[in-house]
Amino acid sequence: MQRLFDTALVLFGVVTLVFFLSAVIPGDPVDVMLGEHASSADREALRSAMGLDRPLHIRWADYLSGLLRGDLGTSLVRSRPVADLIAERLPATLSMALAAFVVILLIALPMGLLAAHFKGGPVDRAAAVFALLGQSIPNFWLGPLLVLLFSIRLGWLPVSGNESPAAILLPAITLGTSLAAVSMRMLRASLLEVLSQDYVRTARAKGVSRLKAILWHALPNALLPVVTLLGLQLGALLSGAVITEVVFAWPGIGSLLIDAIRQRDYPLIQGVVLVIAVAYVLINLLTDLLVRRLDPRIAAAEGDRP
Amino acid sequence: MSAWRRHFFVFLLSLAVTGCQQAPPSSIVFAIATAPASLHPLLATDAVSERINELLYRPLVEYGPQGEPVPGVVRWRMRDARHYLLFLAGSPAAFSDGSPVVLEDVRQTLLTARDHPASPHASTLRNIREIRLEGGRLVLGLQDPDPRLPEKLHLGVAPAAYLQEDRRLARQPMGSGPFVLLGWNEDGGVRLQRRRDGLHVRFSVVPDPTMRALKLLRGEANLVQNDLPYEMYPLLQDSAAIELAALPGTTFSYLGFNLLDPVTGDRRLRAAIAHAIDREAIVRHLFMGHARPGNTLLLPGHWAAHPALRDYRHDPARARALLEAMGHGPDNPLRLSFKTSTDPFRVRVASVLQAQLKAVGIELEINSNEWGTFFGDIKAGRFQMYSLSWVGVRSTDIFRHVFHSESLPPGGANRGRYHSPAVDRLIDRSGQLSAQQARPLYREIQEQLHRDLVYVPLWHENNLLLARDVRAVSPQEDGSYRFLEQVSLRDD
Repeated sequence: MQRLFDTALVLFGVVTLVFFLSAVIPGDPVDVMLGEHASSADREALRSAMGLDRPLHIRWADYLSGLLRGDLGTSLVRSRPVADLIAERLPATLSMALAAFVVILLIALPMGLLAAHFKGGPVDRAAAVFALLGQSIPNFWLGPLLVLLFSIRLGWLPVSGNESPAAILLPAITLGTSLAAVSMRMLRASLLEVLSQDYVRTARAKGVSRLKAILWHALPNALLPVVTLLGLQLGALLSGAVITEVVFAWPGIGSLLIDAIRQRDYPLIQGVVLVIAVAYVLINLLTDLLVRRLDPRIAAAEGDRP
Repeated sequence: MSAWRRHFFVFLLSLAVTGCQQAPPSSIVFAIATAPASLHPLLATDAVSERINELLYRPLVEYGPQGEPVPGVVRWRMRDARHYLLFLAGSPAAFSDGSPVVLEDVRQTLLTARDHPASPHASTLRNIREIRLEGGRLVLGLQDPDPRLPEKLHLGVAPAAYLQEDRRLARQPMGSGPFVLLGWNEDGGVRLQRRRDGLHVRFSVVPDPTMRALKLLRGEANLVQNDLPYEMYPLLQDSAAIELAALPGTTFSYLGFNLLDPVTGDRRLRAAIAHAIDREAIVRHLFMGHARPGNTLLLPGHWAAHPALRDYRHDPARARALLEAMGHGPDNPLRLSFKTSTDPFRVRVASVLQAQLKAVGIELEINSNEWGTFFGDIKAGRFQMYSLSWVGVRSTDIFRHVFHSESLPPGGANRGRYHSPAVDRLIDRSGQLSAQQARPLYREIQEQLHRDLVYVPLWHENNLLLARDVRAVSPQEDGSYRFLEQVSLRDD
């Protein structure tokens, strides 16, 4: 119950902050819609027709009451319900987030395991170099590099867009690589810490091989912080990887947000940010529940509280 | 995209050019930078929407080769100083559902353009006080005489019934133009079909310029117009499959000044800047030759353009002398703030201007801001000096809009707060004359503006169209997409 209340409070804070920040940033949707030829009277007429001439606190109260009824408002520039616009773009963001998440898992888990298993060896060093590159190469650079190799040179994959199923691979790899580097390092560090604990040494003393000790005894415990991190990363992915979406012309909510900001389309900005915030909060909630399930000590510790 | 990143990709592009092979696509794919916001013929204001709407809707009045009005859906006759008669033009037009265009559609089009609260044409058409059907013609009654009203009727015609439903028309356009909408893409782009032969054109939204170039290189796109870093054009042309077509465009770039500022309000400073800038060098090196130094908003071929304004030639010594007369020299350099957008190319141009002005003793501080913030500052008069462009200028109304003292923002574009009673009088008078009578007045206006250096004129930029597997590609001077009426896919 407390958790739900906290969640509602966070969302209320996000909605309010975004509402007022949108209103104070320079630029005006009326300018976008009328251009420069319109007279002041025409501008005021449109401002009034859109309700932008009302006091800010009244617009805010209206917006909140609309939200409570499930109404995200209408896009000022596109004259369409914000919910429809987001619903059109959300599947693309979800599919790219899931694909990138798979990339993270495919890279981070085996590499983290191998790096821990061969600590200090060439494999570990190679993993460290990968992590360094993954974290330091920005997506707007890695993306076109991958395109040059896989699309232009080899001709295997489309350059951008989402017209064919294969088009998801390059943005997913671009997005997943940098995040995988962090998860991989986290898994390695966590594994090495767990490997030095008594129960693993006992297992080893009883004749369990190092690989088996890692997989069966150390990994389940070492995964706990990694699951938390992966949850955060999935939240970030669902919130629309703006740069990657723009680079790959991927029609998700990240590129929708950029367009909305450019056009000063306040209801659309607010709607997209709200969806992003909800996605983040929900993923965090689910991650916490998963971690509690994986590690009964957490629930037990909370149950012990006076 | 920062400069180093662009250079790096240009280098990689040059490596990649040789290795591309792709089968021709089944329809023409046109890669564009932004999605159209609305396909309503009278309410859209963004450039992409307007250009796509030109394909979907035939206008009441078209522009001729010299920017003069010529009949579109209607032809006109002036009954007296305050009345125009509009008739349906010779060849009968039909909407894409097969229904004919009738005068009631024209009437509703004009009413919507004049009265809709979100219409950008409202102030231009306010002088029309009466729009009524009278037999087989439409009568327009004017508040004040306007011999050049037809110039202002470049408005796409839609069916009267559709005009009652804004939102429907914005998504499901119904026009009498050469193309019809097939549908919207997930990326916000649209798919059109040419009515005469069924050719499909897909407008695919690709915001990143490098990716637009790569899509063309791989054959995923057939057409890209402008908005690429200039150094990419020769590299893309190295690919045998890609052709470049160029035409001088109507985009006119200039330096604007706050004339209320004590420093930039001094004409001597503006003249010093005009003489300090080497436009030829910038055109040669930054634009790779794809621009031409220009002195006025209108293209040289326009009927009202001044044919022989004298250049402020590159003369650093004269610029230094002018600055010295203002009390500035090597020991007392002049500091100016210069505002521009975050567009990487515009920032590059700003850097070059900074270097050229430094050579004569002006220290330019460049402030580049995101478009909304930058443009908001310019309209609010929060600047000393800035750079912007006018795109697709055809109508002589531009002089009133930009230079009349009553056209201060937000109701006009006199951003520098220019005030000249003489120019105001010329503008007012020219608007009441026929084109032929007004021509000398427009020349006088342009001479005066050039003398006052309200703008330091820079250049007209070319329209550059890259095509792959497409025939009969010829860019338009205003950047419109109407060349798509003629193109075809290459079979071989």
